[in-house]
Parts: sequence; structure tokens; C-alpha cells
Amino acid sequence: MAEKTLPELAQGTLTPDGPMMARPVRPAGTASSLWPSRSRPEGTATGTVIVGAWGALVFGSALFRSDFLSRQTLLAVTFTMAIVGVLSVGQGLVAMSGAILDLSVPTALILPSWAVASLLGQGINIFLVIFAALAVGGAWGLFNALIIVFGKINPIIVTLGTNFAGAAMLNILFENAQTPMSSGLAKWGQGKFLGLPNIFWPMLLIIALVGYFVPRSRVGRHMIAVGGSSQAARARGISLRKTRFAVFVASGTLSGVAALLFTASDLYFIPNDGSNFLLPTLATIIVAGIALSGGAGNLWLIFLSVGFLSTVTTALAFYGLSDVWQQVPPGAILMIAVSIDGYRRMRSRR
Amino acid sequence: MRHMSKLTTRWVRGTVAAAAIVPLLALALVPMTGGGVAAASAKPFKVCMGTGGQGLDWQTGQGQVLQAIAHKEGWSSVVLSNNNSASTTVSNVQVFIQDGCNAVVEFNPSAPGDVPAMSAKLGAAKIPVITFDVGEPGAYFVGIDNLKAGIAGGQMLGKIIKSKWGCNLDLIIASHAHGAGTVDTQRTGGMITGVLRECPNIPQSKIVNDEGSGQVSVALPAGRNVLAAHPTAKRIAVVGINDSTVTGTIEAAEQLGRASGIIGWGQDGSLITGANVDPHLLGSVFYFLEGYAEATLPLLKEIAAGHAPPVQDNTHNNPEVLLQPCPVTAAQARHVPGYSARLHKLLQSPPGTTEYALFCPNK
Repeated sequence: MAEKTLPELAQGTLTPDGPMMARPVRPAGTASSLWPSRSRPEGTATGTVIVGAWGALVFGSALFRSDFLSRQTLLAVTFTMAIVGVLSVGQGLVAMSGAILDLSVPTALILPSWAVASLLGQGINIFLVIFAALAVGGAWGLFNALIIVFGKINPIIVTLGTNFAGAAMLNILFENAQTPMSSGLAKWGQGKFLGLPNIFWPMLLIIALVGYFVPRSRVGRHMIAVGGSSQAARARGISLRKTRFAVFVASGTLSGVAALLFTASDLYFIPNDGSNFLLPTLATIIVAGIALSGGAGNLWLIFLSVGFLSTVTTALAFYGLSDVWQQVPPGAILMIAVSIDGYRRMRSRR
Repeated sequence: MRHMSKLTTRWVRGTVAAAAIVPLLALALVPMTGGGVAAASAKPFKVCMGTGGQGLDWQTGQGQVLQAIAHKEGWSSVVLSNNNSASTTVSNVQVFIQDGCNAVVEFNPSAPGDVPAMSAKLGAAKIPVITFDVGEPGAYFVGIDNLKAGIAGGQMLGKIIKSKWGCNLDLIIASHAHGAGTVDTQRTGGMITGVLRECPNIPQSKIVNDEGSGQVSVALPAGRNVLAAHPTAKRIAVVGINDSTVTGTIEAAEQLGRASGIIGWGQDGSLITGANVDPHLLGSVFYFLEGYAEATLPLLKEIAAGHAPPVQDNTHNNPEVLLQPCPVTAAQARHVPGYSARLHKLLQSPPGTTEYALFCPNK
């Protein structure tokens, strides 16, 4: 079948594997097309807004405190970006595929982290440790996919449930874990390359590669099509099951990568630590303009989004705001982004 | 036939999904510690405990010690996890009431707001309550002297600041856990007080607060941000509510390439033992939290014998039992056994033995 009709496929209303309502089909190439057109890449407007806001924040902060423009700020921001950025790519894939959200991120991060810390503690070779992290993360994604696909249950419900159960499992498995300070991973986690943290570069590479291949590969296009309208995608012969499996396994494997970055940079952790990453991850994809209704989004914007949000939290420390009040602006940004997402969806239904 | 095939497919799908979900649910429902001791026919004294949660080893340890005490005394016991949640705390209290508990022990440091609701329910049921660390009118208070612990740790750090830098430092980072309420105020604030007792000329402008929530993973990014906002600070001291927040802030300095100028002193002793202690964490204050239940033994014996003493609830600074903090340097802490070994030795010791007596090198 010709691929040129995929934008039309992507115009449906998402209800993963459940009852659906087809959206009116718009001609491909219109302003609201969900497929990256040659004239205007997907998310250009969103990207412009984020760059503008990020620039204004940096400019304003530099005016307020000239020492904001220091290498220390750059390091603080880029360290913060790394783990959230990788997790957000996985979350972005889930959202674009129409599975709304993966709420099991906390377990998906800590389960492979525990595996990494345990194996390093036993002196296992680092390459085996890396493989184990990716395998455990991927297995967690596969586990979610099995329940979603064969149980025909909404992914958001499944991942909420598996996260609760996973949290219990983690608490049974361990109470606290430590990455050995003498391990190569711990040393690598503190290191820099080209002046930026080592853990920053895998994040940049993943965003660049996944963002490039999703709209250009067959599996990526299928994912977007399923996210736009699972009914229409099914009619085109796209396997929803295979797509679900691919997305959740990919998301889980990315959690494994994030776990390596986490254990490299945070040497002491407890089972509950993963919960600190769920909201920043959700905020990142929402600000990046990845539609929670599925079928739309540009994963490259995750870089801008996570960079902007990480800069906000760092900038607040410069403004001398009380530490209690520092939680407020990121929350406000999230609410604004969710409102914009809701407005966009409402407008697209008209 | 087709209908049958559909039904079979659905049945298979349902079975697969159920097979996947059931083990997880089973895991989720596994109680944190073994349930109660088998009830004897004579209805033995039953002591029940709501532990803080499962996130930290000493939280489960407190329940284990209480159960061991109950076992030695021939009492029945029930231990439930409050999961650091107000609603779980209150529902656990309801279980304790329905289960006929004769005394209840509660640990709720992360949610002081839970204590009144919990206390009111148990008060109405006329069940004596012992609270760990968070005082409540009408409940026996057993806990560490947080202010004393904070000041002691602060003074130890202050002495190092005085000898190392002549009290001339650029920044003190205080990593809080505001959710812990007065515990945070007394402990983290106490550390600042202790440092200032040794170095009274440090101006308030050099003290910066951040929120570490008692976790490395929260204190680490918060610490990076504070350090970035003070890029010229070279001599930095860190205090906090526990070892985790102090260590997280120290790790932040290491990531920003400023490890050579940072020193910290923790609280609670959770990250000062073992082979993986951060070299910039110069000391901590042991509370031996896992052994708190040992301190309740005399009180529980009196309650079990039917003559409970008048309540000492610490509302007028008159606690039932005030545990002594044990400040130690990192060098001294190397000779203190780790959590598991301490717990093992405590459980094998005669009833009433405290960890302070067993392990504190600075008695």
C-alpha cells in the first residue's frame, strides 16, 4: 500500500484497542497534518515557542545575575537533562503510539538500576552489566505489553497497576542499593567529554537517532499511524499487537539506558527514588508538544523541552526563591502545557 | 464454531493476562514483615506496630525488633507498613482496633499530620499509643533527641571548619526535608546552630537552604542548582536532615568539579558505614533507629501488666524515653558494624539492651 496516505490514517481519535471514533480526515499537507511535511517540519511552532521561552529565561536570568552564564550552570542543567531526557524519549514513543502514558516509569527505572548496582557489587564485567540493564528494562516493557495486548486493557491502567505491583516487588527485593564508588561506571558518571557530563551524550544521541528514525522508518510510521487511528491503521494491515510490543519493549529498553545513567550519577538509591522522575518525564513530553492523544509529535523537541525545564529549576536557585516555592514554577509550566495540549486537541476535533 | 473459537481466544487471552497480573498482585499483597505471632488460647497481650514504610532498611528493622521483643516476652504481635502514607496509617489503625491490639506503636516522621488522626482513633478505643520521634498529646513519646542530635553533629562539623578553614567559609548548604516538620526544624536547624556555636561569626547570608526530601535523588539536583548559583564558593559545608541529603549534595559538588572544597556531616548514620562511604562525608550522628523498639520494652511491660504509667508525651519536654544521639567521625564509624550486623547482634542480646550501649564509640 502506498505510504502517502499515512497522514490520513493518523487523523483518528485514539482509544487504544478499545472503541474508537474516526476523526474527519483532512488532506495531507495541511497545516494540521500530523506527518512531517517538506515545507514545515512537525512541531516547528512548538519548537519556536520553547526556544523563545528558553532564550528569554536565560537572558532574563543573566540580566538578574551575570554569573548565571557560567560553566557551572551549564553542567548543572546538562546533568539534570540526561536521565529525564532518555526516559522522555520512551514516554514520547508510548504517547505517539496512542498508548497515552506509561505510568510505570518509576519501576522501569529502578528495576534495572538495582540489577546494575547488584551486578557491579559482585564485580561483574561492565559489558555484561550494560546488557543486563537493557535486558531487564526491555523485559519490563515486554511484561507491560503482554498484559496490554492479551488482556486488552488500556495501557494507562496497566502501567499504573504494574507500577504499584513493581514498587512492592522492588521493596521486597532491596531496601537500598549502592553503585560501588570504585566501579568504572561510577567514575564514568562523574566524568566529562567535550566539557559536558558523560551522561549527557547518550541522551543527546538517543534523542537524535530516535527522533530521526521514527518518522522515517517503517516501524516508526506504523507507530504514528496506530497512534493517530488504530482502526484505520488496522484497516491498512498494520498489526496493532506488533506495534504495541515494539513500542513498550523500546520504551523499557530506554529505561534500561536511563538506569545506567542513573546508577552512574546517583550512587545511592532506594526503591522509591523512581517516583521523582515520573512527573518531569510527563512534563517534558507535554511541553515538547507530543500529543497525549497519539499520532503526533516530534521527538527532537524533547531536547528543547528537557533543556528548558531543567534550566527553569536551576534558574530558580539564582533568584533566591525559598526552596519551598521552587516547586511552584515547574508545576505551573506543566499546567500551562497540559492546557495547551487540551486546546490543541479541542481545535483538531472541530 | 466461529463463535466457539472466539470464546476460546478470549478465554486464552484472559488467562494469559490473569497469569501475568496475579503474581504481581500477590507480590503487592505480601506483608512487609511476617504477620502476627500465633495467638495462644489465653489471649496473650497483643502489641501492634505501624512502621514508616519500606523505603529504608531501618524502617523494616523497627518492626523486626518489636516482633522479636514480643516473641521473647510471649506476646502476640502485628506489624503493618504505613507505606509513608496518611491514609494507610489511618486504615492500619482501624485494623489494629478491630484486631484487639492492647498497645500500638507508630512511626510517622514523614507525615506529622497523620499523628492526630491516628491518635484520636486509638484514644477513642482506649488503646495506649507509643509514638516514635513525632510527639502527640496523649501518646507516650519515645524517640531521639533531635535537637541535641542536630546540635551535636553541627558542633562536630563546626570544629572541623574552625581547624580547617579558621571558620572562614563561603557557603553552608542546609538540605532539608520540610515534610518531616519539627523533626527537620530541630535536626537540620540544630546542625546550623551547632556550627554557629563553634563559628559564631559566619553570617546568615552564607547559609542557603534547599529541599532534599531526605533522599539522595532529590538532594542531588537541588545541590547542583544551589552550587551553580554560588559559582565562586570554594569552601563549602553541608548539613542536612540525614546522611542521604548530605551525601546527595556532596555528590552534586563532585559532578560540578568542586569536590575538593566541600565537607559534610550527616544525621542518622545510614550512609557512614560500609565500604562505599563518600570521602567528603566526614561524620554522622547515629540514632540506631532500627533498635527504637528496645526502648519501649519497660513501658510495654507495664502496660501488659495492667498498670500503665501516666503518659509522658513530650508536650512539655517530658518524654517517656529520650534516646541518646551518638555523633561519630567517619574514622570511628568504620568500626561500627553495618545495619544488618547491628540488627543481628541486637536481636541476640538480652532484652532491654540498647544499640547505643552496644555500638556507640563516644558514650
